[in-house]
Amino acid sequence: MFMSGAAPHPDPALMAEAAEDLGGRNRRAWFLEGAWQALAGPMLVVAVSLLSVGGLARDAGFSIEVAVASTLVLWAGPAQVLFFGAVAAKASWPAIAFTISLSSVRFVPMVVSLLPTLRTKRTRLPTLLLAAHCIAVTVWAEGMRRIPSVPRDGRLAFFFGFSLICILGTSISTAVGFVLIGELPLPFVAGLLFMTPIYFVATLTRSASRPIDRWALILGLAAAPVTEALAPRGLDLLVLGFSAGTGAWLIQRALDARARI
Amino acid sequence: MTDALDHGLWPWVALICFGFLPSEVWRMVSVFLARGIDESSPWLSWVRAVATALLAGVVGKLLLSPNGALATLPLWGRVGPLAVGMIAFFLIRRSIFAAIVAGEAAIIAIGYWVG
Repeated sequence: MFMSGAAPHPDPALMAEAAEDLGGRNRRAWFLEGAWQALAGPMLVVAVSLLSVGGLARDAGFSIEVAVASTLVLWAGPAQVLFFGAVAAKASWPAIAFTISLSSVRFVPMVVSLLPTLRTKRTRLPTLLLAAHCIAVTVWAEGMRRIPSVPRDGRLAFFFGFSLICILGTSISTAVGFVLIGELPLPFVAGLLFMTPIYFVATLTRSASRPIDRWALILGLAAAPVTEALAPRGLDLLVLGFSAGTGAWLIQRALDARARI
Repeated sequence: MTDALDHGLWPWVALICFGFLPSEVWRMVSVFLARGIDESSPWLSWVRAVATALLAGVVGKLLLSPNGALATLPLWGRVGPLAVGMIAFFLIRRSIFAAIVAGEAAIIAIGYWVG
């Protein structure tokens, strides 16, 4: 299923021209390839792990349309859980907005690390903004793993095919969850909620190619109880990300320095 | 507050103003932050490490202080299945699918056994 890039050509100018030509023709193919790769697994996992969002929305008193719209416009599982959970708990609106904003700060490092691998010099701002909207945890983790093997000209097409299928599948699952979640036995609901943790840890382990990736994962998991106990509520994830991420980065630097000696 | 949700447009306004906008602002800001960063920049590996750690932190929080049905299980009943899933992952050719199947089987079994 996986396609190779353009064949090598001796003349760089001609090659660039040929690549541009190929990119134009191949864009649809890469879009479909991305869509196909999402269908082959990641879409199902995100969709199933966010089934519970629909149930939460119903518990909070929202209609099925608003529940589905929340997946389309928020496209952030934790923010949706927070939103419907907080409304159900009758939190104040400013408090809800603040908590959601805090939880979505985590998109900053994800968008900043994925966009440079996606864009070309000619990519326009609206395209970048739309791409940024499509980035959520799953798309980011899978994107970091899959995008580098796609030729530059096909990357955005591949990315949009991949993420749109994920968003579409999850919108459907939000509606299904809205109707269905009350009917499921408790252990299965627990199983649905457990999809996120097991999937993220397995995906991150699989895409960890250098010590820095493994250390970021290990330190991040290990730091969770510490920051949960010590850091101010709402800020604990940020403190965790900064400290564990910087720790992993320092370890990599130390390893690199030792390798140079 | 929930009564207010009965009024026509209000749920949509609430979703956009208190859900969408406070969340989306960070993605938009990031587009501009990403502008100056080259793919080969050493900063990018730091940013990526922070993102990975954040994600690991989300998982840790989900397991430590869960809500809903996960909260009905004891801590070992949440961490154990993660270990089972990762053992399956390493035993079966680093398969994400194997990790999910094994982890899910473990947590559903524990759910029935505890409950």
